[in-house]
Amino acid sequence: MDRTVLIVDDHAGFRALARKLLAAEGWEVVGEAGDGAEALTEARRLHPELVLLDLNLPDGSGLDVAERLAATDPAPQVVLTSTHDEDELHELARARRATGFVPQRLLSGARLEAVLSGR
Amino acid sequence: MTTHPDSPALSLPPELHAVLDAALDCVVAMGADGRVVLFNAAAQRTFGYTAEQAVGADMAELLVPPSLRARHRDGVARHLAGGAPAVLDRRIEITGLRADGSEFPVELTVTRLRGAEPVLFVAYLRDITDRKLAEAELKASRIRIVEAADAARRRIERDLHDGAQQRLVMLALQLRIARGRVGDGDESAALLDEALAELDGATAELRELARGIHPAVLTEGGLHPALRALAARSAVPVVLQEVPDARFAASVEATAYFVVAEALTNVARHACAERATVVVREEAGALVVEVRDDGCGGAAGAGGTGLRGLDDRLAALGGRLSMQSPSGEGTTIRAEIPCAS
Repeated sequence: MDRTVLIVDDHAGFRALARKLLAAEGWEVVGEAGDGAEALTEARRLHPELVLLDLNLPDGSGLDVAERLAATDPAPQVVLTSTHDEDELHELARARRATGFVPQRLLSGARLEAVLSGR
Repeated sequence: MTTHPDSPALSLPPELHAVLDAALDCVVAMGADGRVVLFNAAAQRTFGYTAEQAVGADMAELLVPPSLRARHRDGVARHLAGGAPAVLDRRIEITGLRADGSEFPVELTVTRLRGAEPVLFVAYLRDITDRKLAEAELKASRIRIVEAADAARRRIERDLHDGAQQRLVMLALQLRIARGRVGDGDESAALLDEALAELDGATAELRELARGIHPAVLTEGGLHPALRALAARSAVPVVLQEVPDARFAASVEATAYFVVAEALTNVARHACAERATVVVREEAGALVVEVRDDGCGGAAGAGGTGLRGLDDRLAALGGRLSMQSPSGEGTTIRAEIPCAS
């Protein structure tokens, strides 16, 4: 069965491309959200396995949203993403209860699988 | 205020009174009993008393704020009893009291006229309110300049990030989607792979540029992750011995970060060191940053290196930068950055 993902980014262009890219690798994009508040609502409604979460959201930091998502039940896995691709953001993401970090430009289904399996 | 006919004013020739009254500085003299015997025109203007009101009055009651009076009287008594003069013949800054009750900063020197009988102390005073205000304004404006420069750097980094970097990311994703639709044997596949590699290079260059302007991780996560990243990229192995997780004012974090970055760059370039150690800790209202290396030492001053620019930045924030570099014993760079947290 396809793994389900909710894409959160205020940039519609990125959401569309990420959807195309992940769908081509067998992921089911169950929803999209443009900010943190919408992300929390949609995650509660759609119960995706994974939330792909932009670090810089118009209503605050993705790190805060990651923490709030981790506190929901059932909690989705959260992978933060950003146009920044500094390695240290990975650690920062984990410190805030997200599973990991993937730079936007390196986004792919395989990369997400790797982060989720801790590789 | 009444006059004090029983306490004779210092008897001076009228020419000498005229000389004293022409001075810009206040000249106030008192006897061993603490009473004023001379109060020139500048003193009258500055403190708001006429000579008739001042002469004969107790100097401490008249000109010294109540909170400082006891100390003043103790000092005079100790001196008259033969103690070493604590405040005589040197410049001191203290608070003065005007006739209207307002207090103001003064600089003054007090001297005891040698050989004068009876004892005579003469004080020369200046109201330094304007200078103090100017100093405070200068300090504030230097801090504002640093903060404005930092804000500008953050803005440039953000603009690069939201603009060019964002576009390159989109381009990378589009190319990768296209690449996914083209079989490996296709002629276009090689072209797309080349384009992706080229794009990777461009992105990396832009990223380095943005990071040098202001590292995003510093804004997002503070000093600890930013210094970990710096340590990871350093050419010389770096031990982060101690770094607080707490957040500080943006200008404090940026200064600490750039001190470590500059120091590590110098270590890699000049120190022939095998290891550098970074310690950041809060000490008495300041963030203290120390970068030590085990290299050859003997570094010549902070001048001529990027550290000089940091010296100005630190001075503006009321901090300081120092370096110790004994030959053969490695180099230690230490910065103290005031931080009210």
